[in-house]
Amino acid sequence: MKIVRDMLGNPDAQGEKLLRRFAGATSRRGILSRLGAALVAAPVFPLLPVSRAEAAKPDRSPEAKTAFARSAQTKDDTKCDYWRYCAIDGALCTCCGGGIHTCPAGAEPSPVSWVGSCINPDDGKAYMIAYRDCCGKPACGQCGCDNIDRETQLYLPQLNNNVIWCFGTSSMEYHCSTAMMIGAA
Amino acid sequence: MKLAGMLAQLLTGITLVVAPVVTVNAETVVPEAEEASVNTMPQPQPGWFYVRGGWGTAGTSIFDSQSGKMVGMVATSRDSDLAIDPAGKAYYVAETIWSKGNRGTRQDMITVYDPVTLKLQTEIVTPGRLIIGGFKTNFILTDDGKTAYDYNFDPASSVNIIDLSKRKFVRAIELPGCASLIPNSGVGFSALCADGTLATVAIKGATQDITRSEPFFDAAADPIFSNVVYDRQKKLAVMLSYTGQVRVATMGRTPGVSAPFSLQEAGGMRAADDKPLDIAWYPGGMQPMALHRPTGTLWVLMHKGEYWTHKAGAEEIWGVDLKTRNVVKRIPVEHEPGNIEITQDDAAMIMVNGMNNDAMIIDSRTGEVKHTIKNAGGGLITVVEPR
Repeated sequence: MKIVRDMLGNPDAQGEKLLRRFAGATSRRGILSRLGAALVAAPVFPLLPVSRAEAAKPDRSPEAKTAFARSAQTKDDTKCDYWRYCAIDGALCTCCGGGIHTCPAGAEPSPVSWVGSCINPDDGKAYMIAYRDCCGKPACGQCGCDNIDRETQLYLPQLNNNVIWCFGTSSMEYHCSTAMMIGAA
Repeated sequence: MKLAGMLAQLLTGITLVVAPVVTVNAETVVPEAEEASVNTMPQPQPGWFYVRGGWGTAGTSIFDSQSGKMVGMVATSRDSDLAIDPAGKAYYVAETIWSKGNRGTRQDMITVYDPVTLKLQTEIVTPGRLIIGGFKTNFILTDDGKTAYDYNFDPASSVNIIDLSKRKFVRAIELPGCASLIPNSGVGFSALCADGTLATVAIKGATQDITRSEPFFDAAADPIFSNVVYDRQKKLAVMLSYTGQVRVATMGRTPGVSAPFSLQEAGGMRAADDKPLDIAWYPGGMQPMALHRPTGTLWVLMHKGEYWTHKAGAEEIWGVDLKTRNVVKRIPVEHEPGNIEITQDDAAMIMVNGMNNDAMIIDSRTGEVKHTIKNAGGGLITVVEPR
């Protein structure tokens, strides 16, 4: 909970501003302008909260860790308890012929993503993870995971893991999900 | 190959026709060859459950709560949203398909089905929608059934207005930072927002006024489940948060949101919080609550665990009297269901389902499991709501 607050600050001040920014840039209508806004805004989500997180010095003691964070591992990225997957929902691309930040052959990475803030048990630090869907092929079906640390609902979509983020790709069919490191949280 | 296939089909067909004649049985002799026919159905019934297949599947199966038998199926394509006309005159499906299956030209529409024949009546073309399924609050109807509001996210947030009487798309309204739509009779609709407010969109012809309530919840720390439940007769919306805080909103031009109460306190325990390592009863699932509108009883899927387990399946179903704010019944439940709904008749039959794709029909008055239905579907459950 605390980490999310650090990430987004007050949703009023941060998430809302970002979402307004999304919409503000889309008055010209049309999918291209909307996607353009998304493409521009996408890196803003993960980058903006970094300074806030550092300033707030979040509590990373064992008592503040979620059940997922307390049992997460760093060795096997084909398992649901791999540390970066703290808020992933879907098939792991690492089990589908892809990698931790690589789509399987024939799939197309979504330019936008939802995010999680996951603790690496090796150094005890939190990192921003962008969950980027790989799109345009049928559901992979391997290694289905649904981890929900600080996962929210549709009105805070960048922290919701139910949304299929295949926006801006040639097909919206969902194949699998990757977990890209963005930076320290 | 094709020829062989056709031949096989033909032979199968011949077998089917011939079979009754060949298998001579004194009691089942069919004197004449039968003709293929098609059933019709009654209009939507208060004792029916409409059950989505699991993620990625198409089709909403209809089960009768008394018999536990399937009575029909509405064609609801993958990740579509179903709404039932309040007067029972149509099924509406907000859906998205592509001209070449998984690619080609994207087509978004509201597909209208006759409720008696279940045949396609028409398709209302729309500019887009959020492809997700699993939420009732992405596609809602006004109380009079004349207008639909369809949530879109692409990934900017907007709402499409559809005139169901004229069967045409009217216009879209930009709604940044908000989702989870709630009907707001005579006004337009309301929606939950990331800043912890309730936005109300008052529609006036070609324009609208969007107003916000004061913030009343923390969207990041203790979110309200998107599947808000609405009571058409009382014009109330019931909201449930991850920690188990229940709020009732009175809809209107300026909706009033009640002070929250804790489900756990209603059950005689201390309220649950949002800290790790604190074990408590929490609500969970994709469709974690159902409202029996005639009695004002809220039925909630509950599990024991730590915070951030809001998708976990249930160990118990709690019945909460919204007026007295007391837990009036706790029903243990197996197979960790994640969806719950209740019929709006006096029988008050509960259905739950979950990841195993099976459904159970439970008598809410006794807690008795009346039917277990294999492969009923693991998705969202819908019932006919009182007008």
